Amino acid sequence: MKSSRPGPGEALLITANRLLDGRIVWRDHSGKWREDIRQATPFTFEEAESALETAEKQAQQEGVVGIYDVLVRTGSVPQPVTMREHVRAFGPTVNPDFAYVAASSLPVSSTAPQGTQS
Amino acid sequence: MTVSVGHYNYEEKDRAFLEERIVEFEGQVKRRLEGSLTEDEFKPLRLMNGIYLQLHAYMFRVAIPYGILDSRQLHKLADISENFDRGYGHFTTRQNIQFNWIALEDAPTILRELASVDMHAIQTSGNCIRNVTSDEYAGAADDELMDPRVHAEILRQWSTLHPEFSFLPRKFKIAISGSPEDRVAARFHDIGILARPSEKGPLFRIFVGGGLGRIPVVGQEIFDSVPEMELLATLEAILRVYNAYGRRDSLYKSRIKILVQTIGIDAYRKEVEEELSQMDLGRYRLSAEKVAAIRARFASPDFVDVPDGDAVLQDHKATNPAFAQWVDTNTHKHRQEGYIIATVSLKAPGEIPGDVTAAQMHGLAALAERHSFGEIRITHLQNVVLGHVRKDELFTVWEGLKALGLATPNLGLVGDMVCCPGLDYCSLANARSLPIARKIGARFGDTALQAEIGALNINISGCINACGHHHAGNIGLLGVDKHGDEFFQILLGGKFGENARIGTILGPALAEDETVDAVARIIECYLSKRQDGETFLETLQRIGREPFKEVAYATA
Repeated sequence: MKSSRPGPGEALLITANRLLDGRIVWRDHSGKWREDIRQATPFTFEEAESALETAEKQAQQEGVVGIYDVLVRTGSVPQPVTMREHVRAFGPTVNPDFAYVAASSLPVSSTAPQGTQS
Repeated sequence: MTVSVGHYNYEEKDRAFLEERIVEFEGQVKRRLEGSLTEDEFKPLRLMNGIYLQLHAYMFRVAIPYGILDSRQLHKLADISENFDRGYGHFTTRQNIQFNWIALEDAPTILRELASVDMHAIQTSGNCIRNVTSDEYAGAADDELMDPRVHAEILRQWSTLHPEFSFLPRKFKIAISGSPEDRVAARFHDIGILARPSEKGPLFRIFVGGGLGRIPVVGQEIFDSVPEMELLATLEAILRVYNAYGRRDSLYKSRIKILVQTIGIDAYRKEVEEELSQMDLGRYRLSAEKVAAIRARFASPDFVDVPDGDAVLQDHKATNPAFAQWVDTNTHKHRQEGYIIATVSLKAPGEIPGDVTAAQMHGLAALAERHSFGEIRITHLQNVVLGHVRKDELFTVWEGLKALGLATPNLGLVGDMVCCPGLDYCSLANARSLPIARKIGARFGDTALQAEIGALNINISGCINACGHHHAGNIGLLGVDKHGDEFFQILLGGKFGENARIGTILGPALAEDETVDAVARIIECYLSKRQDGETFLETLQRIGREPFKEVAYATA
């Protein structure tokens, strides 16, 4: 998957699925994998390239698969720009019980992305 | 031994085979978690056991051979959903069930739980012959020519771990029916088989090269009357030709439909006949003894006389209009006097098509135990069938379904939508199909309105892979991604069955809410222009697409 170059107010986050249970995780500033997108570290394009390379090397040891980066709009709750990544970050939209913790921090008006401007 | 009605009853050797497979997979999972297998090495192994890595977790697809379960199996699926998932199961258009929140480390335990009720997840994924599907009314419908289940089971056994066909160019789907009304979408399968009896024994009409997905194609007849004895040899030859010449260099050109389209049905038939001429046919001969041995593992319902069945049923209909409406839409004539087939819609307005809760699964299993010989069928339209209900007990069944929230009277109507899991769960999807299905379901939730509209199929897919069979819907919706946002293409004119047709795109894709409004206007247009007794497709054929296009995009 080719990385997008972040524009103003945007950043890249590193994400993966946990090997044991497949759950979505996000890489924080110390290199730990977290379940909450709010704990993910924002990267520039160049930083993300390097972080991805490191994460790939440590994937088995850290118990993750399918590592890649996600373009988000930055803020107190990073918001992925595509619907696919929005659903990954905040949970299925069809069952409130299955929403992830970070979804509770979303502004009411921001339950779906607006799309990129490309 | 527990003898189940409706499906093949396992022998000890079948159970030993499953245990061997579980031990093998247990070792593979252990090696993956330890790191001695990479993800690339492990992926085909987990797929062969029905495990996908989806958007939020591992998804587990469990096979329901020819769509038939017994009540202990459905209770077990409910237990699995409670103990290893989040209390839900999702029935698919291939008569399987999927669990969306499975942990890899639990997979061997789940397989063992399944094996305890003679179930498995073998060949529910991967480039092999997938679960063989069949008519949901098999062995029960009054209009049936021949019960296809014994042959479906023979195909299941023939195709399971078939050494030549475990690494085909691409996945391969077979459906078989014994009804003059094609209830299995035979012409949209890689191989579709329509069975019929004759004086000399069963004959099989075979279609090849059908399919939906990126390139939708209606299958073509390759043989009209294959005798039972030659059924396996013929299928073997069809598969061999595909295995030899199917494209392995392009994912999008790898299905048998592309090969059949490329060389033509006559050339394909000739290749198959040539292959047959070189085969040791004795090895593949399906003798009457072999068929009888499989048939002997099937138990039949022990029907009784129900002298007052019709009278009791009519009394209940007369005094309860809601029940009468449900009977009119959701039942089908049974071949046995005094019995009736009841279809349970899993499409309550505003709910997720094909989803069932653990409580509903337990409830359905209990109803089947009491009223349908412990037998439950899953349909390729994501509903459930209780196949053998006494007419004088149908009201009790309906009351039981009502208590479970499963008495929706909308079979074949607008609310009975077929829908894939879409972007809410599927990593391949481009758009969420479930929310739009819910919105359309809620918009047309009124049962009187649905009855007024009449038969009309809406099929929704979240991507071009077409798991929601959008090309075959009278109205089809296809989710597409436009720079990260969801849009939906509208297709009109698709149809399953004898005169299967592929729907075509009406115009530019619309945003979700605009699509719901457009569908509503298309249906209003149909209601205003239809003539007496005309179906949606008949009106479409008579007046053409333009009036529908005009209203669909009127305010877009």
